[in-house]
Parts: sequence; structure tokens; C-alpha cells
Amino acid sequence: MAEFLEFKNVSKRFGAIQAVDGVSLEIKRGEFFALLGPSGCGKTTMLRIAAGFETPDAGQVFLAGREITDLPPNRRPVNTIFQSYALFPHLTVRDNIAFGLQIAKKPKAEIDREVETMLRLIRLEDQAGKKPDLLSGGQRQRVAVARALINKPGVLLLDEPLAALDLKLRQRMLIELDMIHDQVGITFLYVTHDQSEAMSLSDRIAVMNAGRIEQIGAPAEIYEAPRTSFVAAFIGDTNFLEGVVADHPEPEYSRLRIEGLPDATVYNDKQIADGHKIFLSIRPEKIQISRDRPEPKPKRNAVPAVVEDVIYLGPTTKYWVRAGEHRLQVLRQHARFFLDEKPIRWKDDVWVFWHGDDGFMLEGFRRDDEKLVAAPPQKVGEA
Amino acid sequence: MKRSRFPFIVTGLVLVFFYLPILILVVDSFNASRFGGAWRGFSLKWYVRLFHEPAIWTAARNTLVIALIVTFVSLLLGTTSALALHRFSKSRFQRVHYTLIYTPLVVPEILMGISLLMAFVAAGVKLGMGTIILAHVTFCISYVALVVLGRLQDFDFTVVEAARDLGATGWTATRRVLLPMLAPGLAAAGLIAFTLSVDDFVITFFVAGPGSTTLPIRVYSMIKHGATPLINALSTLLLALTFTTVLVSQRLSKSGALEGGQ
Amino acid sequence: MKNLRRRGQEFFLTLPSFFWLSLFFLIPTALVFILAFRPADPFGGIGRGWTTATIEGLADPQYLAIAWRTLWVSFLSTAFCLLLAVPTAYAVARAPERRRNLLLMLVIVPFWTSFLIRVFAWKSILHPEGLIKKTLVFCGLVDPSSQLLYNLGAVILVTVYTFLPFAILPIYAAAEKFDYRLLEAARDLGARPFQAFRKVFLPGIRQALVTAVLVVFIPSLGSYIVPDIVGGPGSEMLGNKIAQRVFVDRNLPLAGGLSIVLILAVLAPLLGVLALQGKKARIQPPEGGGKP
Repeated sequence: MAEFLEFKNVSKRFGAIQAVDGVSLEIKRGEFFALLGPSGCGKTTMLRIAAGFETPDAGQVFLAGREITDLPPNRRPVNTIFQSYALFPHLTVRDNIAFGLQIAKKPKAEIDREVETMLRLIRLEDQAGKKPDLLSGGQRQRVAVARALINKPGVLLLDEPLAALDLKLRQRMLIELDMIHDQVGITFLYVTHDQSEAMSLSDRIAVMNAGRIEQIGAPAEIYEAPRTSFVAAFIGDTNFLEGVVADHPEPEYSRLRIEGLPDATVYNDKQIADGHKIFLSIRPEKIQISRDRPEPKPKRNAVPAVVEDVIYLGPTTKYWVRAGEHRLQVLRQHARFFLDEKPIRWKDDVWVFWHGDDGFMLEGFRRDDEKLVAAPPQKVGEA
Repeated sequence: MKRSRFPFIVTGLVLVFFYLPILILVVDSFNASRFGGAWRGFSLKWYVRLFHEPAIWTAARNTLVIALIVTFVSLLLGTTSALALHRFSKSRFQRVHYTLIYTPLVVPEILMGISLLMAFVAAGVKLGMGTIILAHVTFCISYVALVVLGRLQDFDFTVVEAARDLGATGWTATRRVLLPMLAPGLAAAGLIAFTLSVDDFVITFFVAGPGSTTLPIRVYSMIKHGATPLINALSTLLLALTFTTVLVSQRLSKSGALEGGQ
Repeated sequence: MKNLRRRGQEFFLTLPSFFWLSLFFLIPTALVFILAFRPADPFGGIGRGWTTATIEGLADPQYLAIAWRTLWVSFLSTAFCLLLAVPTAYAVARAPERRRNLLLMLVIVPFWTSFLIRVFAWKSILHPEGLIKKTLVFCGLVDPSSQLLYNLGAVILVTVYTFLPFAILPIYAAAEKFDYRLLEAARDLGARPFQAFRKVFLPGIRQALVTAVLVVFIPSLGSYIVPDIVGGPGSEMLGNKIAQRVFVDRNLPLAGGLSIVLILAVLAPLLGVLALQGKKARIQPPEGGGKP
């Protein structure tokens, strides 16, 4: 698969804000690609540059090898699904969907045929005569999809298309979007701040922060092997530990000296030399918790700790524990909640332990990113 | 995506169109020439002459007296009307009431003038300041009612409930919460009524009688009799007054007072 | 009990305005229709008995020509107002916030300025000795002997000048609320800028366009000051005729008859709009509004 939509060193500034800062990105034909990041990270600006609503200050955009940087939106084979859907309120569902073909002055018979096909695809045949404000959120969203797809765009741009829907509907629309992508087989560029949407739909994700791309990769890669503290903290939740590489007991494993904790074994695929300071990210669900001291095993790191808070979350329970000066969050899935004879409670002495492969060394670390992680409990007024 | 410049060019031209005549008029009021056009040097003599025209000052006094009474009465009638329209909006009677409030707005002034004149003549009422006030209140009520209604419709009545929840009686809640929050709207409505009354010529012309000359009527007869430099000076003074009024009303509208009405 | 109190409240809150407008608006308007069938008395009052002579007299071709001219002048003024108001309102609504407030204020100031003064300002600059005439003659655009004042062109120009702010404000109110992402959506679907404007923006502010038409067209039908001050004998409108019957020859029944013609001319577009909008009407302040 060749690069289909390509951004080359694209920058865009709005007043004092550098919205996009020298981003290069290649999206393959037919790919479902997500731009994920917090609000203000520049992901929507990227999408608007792709659509032609914004012209980049620097850099170029290519579509199928042709430069489109300065092409106005109406001359790009690209269509958008807007966050608010932007359905035309004065037109019926049918006329909304037909809009693009009517503008292109397609023959009436063809327009009618195509609109019928689309109405069937989105299963709204019986709503075709209604105005958009009579439709439900999910129906509107489907009309927006049909209105864009009927033009057979090279790339479909989706700007937080599910943000306006409630949770259950969002889950249903996720499946529908996925099915539509499989059926029409065109390239999707999907902008969202919701990691679960990005994770469940995308072939690849680019995580953006402050106008730059932090990491590009498949969902599992992004979650399991975050390159930076931002990616680790923004996608899911995590614990950060700071340490110094002490030595290499095995070629791929290092011993890490962490202040206030016993030395920890970590997987060191990046071959960081002894004596270097590094940061470790350990996902809460990768840490286990028990009342009894776990059996020592090779590469298992075990630390005694005190429980400071227990938060019941339904399928899981989250424990905040203090180990030395460090506060760690641990997520535990429970199989038999009520039958657990010795539930772990507040102030209990416990052991937490994890496998050396599950502590992931970060290439980049910023103190600020610690704020993205769930904060440990505080006494009222302590803040 | 480039935006078209065309609307901005039109706007520029419209603003020139709006202000050029006014500007020329103001400049001309300081022109020593009697006929305008050619500049014959700066002079304040038309202003001095203006101050020695007792007819203008009588007219100004009449206008002010009328406008003050009209503002007060139409605020009272318009506000009760808006309260009724708002509180009982589902009542069929209020639909009739609303139509009655709305219709005077779409009736050309000259029709209102002639119909009131006929009514006064038929009823044998003597034309004068009194008939002018009656006529002005009639067209001001609608403006006041709609401005206040717009304000009420944007009003968050949960704050009144909050006041009740905090122990206020119905009357206290009205006095301490509702009225202060409506005050900018009432002020804006009053300002509109005042301006409309001061500015009205057509209706006033029909229902005025001897001794009740208002400023617009005076200005009209000056225009008809060609007292150009004096009108320039008078207009400049009135424009200065208008600008001040607009500034005040802008302040009020910053708190949303003019929304819905103007 | 509570219901009764509510009824009472409604009654007392409605009564003052209802009574006032019935007495000083409804009855006088009805009176115009009645008095048009009374003869005039020689002293400028209303005579006794009934006559249809006044109404029959309205068939005079002189009046028909004036009624037609009134419609035509109002139509042209409304068209010019809309052509200027739509781009202006759009530009103001899309300007960055600080500049928008300034522009809006500049549009509102003439709205508050004395009507007579604004008409007078044009009279003095269109005057043979006025600035515009001199400039145009200097540029060789008009003949020195031509007349800019006292004709139909001057009436339309000044009508547009005086009513333009009333057309801009309701359109601005709608343009400000308009969701401009719809224009982006239209562009995204292949529409050129003007296509997007025509197919999405104009339908989106349709209601305000109707309001703007009404607030310009209806008052200009009743125009009296503008043709009186800047018009000539060839540009008189219905309003001038009504005023002449009142102030020149004091024939109130004839003035009433002419007013009926004017009322019919006003009702026609109003009923047209109401019919178009069907049952949508509900209690709400008009967009923008405007003093006639």
C-alpha cells in the first residue's frame, strides 16, 4: 500500500498559538487512521488543512501524489463529517444527501439512484423526507456519513463524529462506522480525543500533543509500548517511576535503582547504558496486589506497600498504595467479588508485584505529563 | 479557505453612504456661508443665532415634557403587557393581545396619524400637547412591550426560585431579584420610547394643535422655509445628543438589555 | 381558587395595554373606514349622512398613477436595501468580535438619529449648490443644468438611506446566529463560494430576509416626509396625497379613502407572508424589529 494522503512538514499558527508545528504524516490508501490527542493539540487543524478549510503557513499536502495544499475545499476529492454534522437545516434528509451530486450537476436519474443506495446503506429509507431537526442524534450522524460518502471521496475526514452522542449510541455507531469502512474501503482520517474510539476503530493512530506528533503506531503498540510520558499518560492510566540503570544481569534486562524501593528488573530493549537516569511507565493493571508476600520468581519485582484508598469501579477495583515515598495505582479485575474471603481494605499491609517485561522505559519524559495521570487521594484541604 | 472581500467592500461603502451626508452637515454648520457649499471660513454664528430663537427653545421644552410623560406611561403599560404575555403565554386571550401589540409596529406612521386625527376630530377632542401624548404612548407601548418580553424570555427564572428557596417572599423575590435583573431591559425600553417620542414627526404633525409645536415640527417648518444654516447647527447639537445616547445604550446592551428588541 | 386568582392576575396585567390600544389604535383605524363614507363639511370637519362619492372618486387615474408609483418606489427601495443589507450584515457578523461591535455600533447610530435630519442632510448635499452636484459636474458626470433633487431618483436614494439600518439589523441578528460550518460543509461537498452562499446561507436566514422586506417595504408604502422634502410634483406618493387632503384642503373623508387604499397595499404583503408561514406563528419578539 502506497502513501495516499501525505503531510510534509506542515505548520499552522493562529495568532500566538502554534496549532500545528512541522508535522509530517503518511496515511495509506484504505487505511483507518486516527489522530488522537487532547483538545487544542492541533488534530482538528490537521483535519481542516486536509479538507482545505485552512491553508498551512508552511509545508505541503499531497493526495495520491498530487499536491493539494492550495486547492480550495470544493475542488478536493475529500469529504468531511463535522463534529456537529452541519446538516443543512432547510433541506430534507434526501436533499442533504443529494447536495454534493446536485452541485456536481449529475443527471437526475443518477442522483436518485445513488441517494437510494445511500439511504439503504444507512437504513433511513423511511426518514428521507424529514428535515434534520426531526431526527435523533444517531440518525443525523448517519445522514452526515451518507452525505459525505455519496461523493465517493478519496479520503473521508471525520471530526469527532461521535462526540455529540451518548455512550450507548456511541458504541453502536462505532460498530457501524467500522462496518461502513469495511464496505466502502476508502481512506478514513478520524480525529478524536477519545482513546477508546481510536483504539477500537483504527489501523494506526497518531498521538498528537501541542502541535506535534508524539507517536505513530498500531493501537496495541501505542498502548503497550508508549514512547513518551505523554503517550503513556494520555492513553489509559499509568504509574511513573524514576530510576538509574545499575547493571545488566542479562543482556536484555537491566537492574534499575529506584529511590526508596528495592532494585527492580526491567526489560531494556533500548540498550540504555549503565548509569543513565530513566523513567519507567507501569500500567496499573499490570501490577498485582495480594495480602501475602508473592513467591519470588525470576524477573518478578515485589514491593511491600500500604493501601491508602480503595475505589470500586464495577468490573475492576482500583487501589492506591504507598510504597516508600511512591504512590502507585493498581487495578485488579475481580472474578468473585462477594466470595472473596479476605478483601483488601483501607490501611491494609499488602504486597504489589509485576513482571520485569511490564515496566516500560520511556524515551521522553516531561514532568507536566504526570498531571495527566489520575491523582492519588488527598485529604480534604490538602490540595 | 479564502474569504471573499466583496461583503467587506460593500460594508465600507455603506458606512460612507451612512456618514458622508451627516459629516457634511456637521461641517457646514460651522461654515460662515449662508448657503453651504463653498467654505467661507469657520464660524459659530449659526449656533449663536440658534440661541436667540425662542421658538426653538419652546419647541424643545414641549418635546422634552411630552417625551418624559410618554416614557413613563408607556413603560408602565408596556411592562404590564409584557408580563401578561410572558406569564400567560399559553392563553388564547394573550394571542389576541399579542396581535394587538404587534400590529401597530407594521402600520405605517401616516395611517396611525390620520386615524388618530379622525378619532380626535370625531370625538371633539381639542388638539394639543394632550393629543400628542396620547398618540405617542400608543406607538411606544408596542416597542416597550416587545423589548421587555424579549428580556423576560431570556430570563432564567430559577434565580427567583433560588431566592424563594433562600427564604424570600414572592414580593421580596420580585423586588430584590427580578426587578434589578430586569432593570437594564426596562432602561433600554425606556430609552427607545423616549427616542421615538422625541424623534416622531409624522404622527405628531397630524395630531398637533396650536401651541404644541415640537422640535421635529419646528425643524420641518425650518426645512420648508429654507433656514438651512440654522438647521445644520440644530442638527449638529441633536447628533451630539444621539451619539451620547447610543453610547449609553451600548453600555446597556452589553448586559444584553437590547437583545430581542432592537 | 388558584385558577381564579391566576385569571384575575392575567386580567389586571392585560387590561391597561389592551384598553389603551383598543381605544387609540383599533377604534381609530376602524373609524378611517367609516368616515370615508361620510361627506366632508366645508369647515374641515366631518359632515352628516352617508356617501360613496369619495370611494368612487378614488378611481381617478391621477390616484391610480400615484398608487402604482408608491408600490414601484417601495419595491425598488426594498430591493436596493436588501442588496446592500445582506453583504453588510454578513460582513459585520463575520468580523472578529472587537471590530464587530464597532461596526454594529456604526450601523446602529443612524438608526437612532433623527429621521428628519437624515432626510434634510441629503436635501442639502443634493441641492444645486450642494457638494455632490458640484463634484459630479466637476467630474463631468452630469450636466450643470441637470437636477439631482426633486425627482423619483432622489426619493428612492433617500428612502434607501433612511431604511437601510432597519434592513441590516434583523439580517445581522440572523447572520450572527448562523452556523458558518454549514458553509464549510457546502464547500466540502463541492460548492463554489457563491453557490454555498446562495444555497445554504440565504435559505438559512430566510426568516430575517422576510422581516427585512417587511420593515422596509411597509413603511416606504406610507412614506411621506421623503417625497415631501426631496421629491417633486412628479414623485408624489400616497402619503403626500393623504397629507395634502388633511393639511391643504382639509378633506378628511377623502384622506380616509386614500388611507384605505394604503391599508390594502400594506395588508397585501403582510397576508402573503402570513400565508407562507402558515401556522408557525408563536409569541416571540420579532427579529431585529425596527421603528417605522
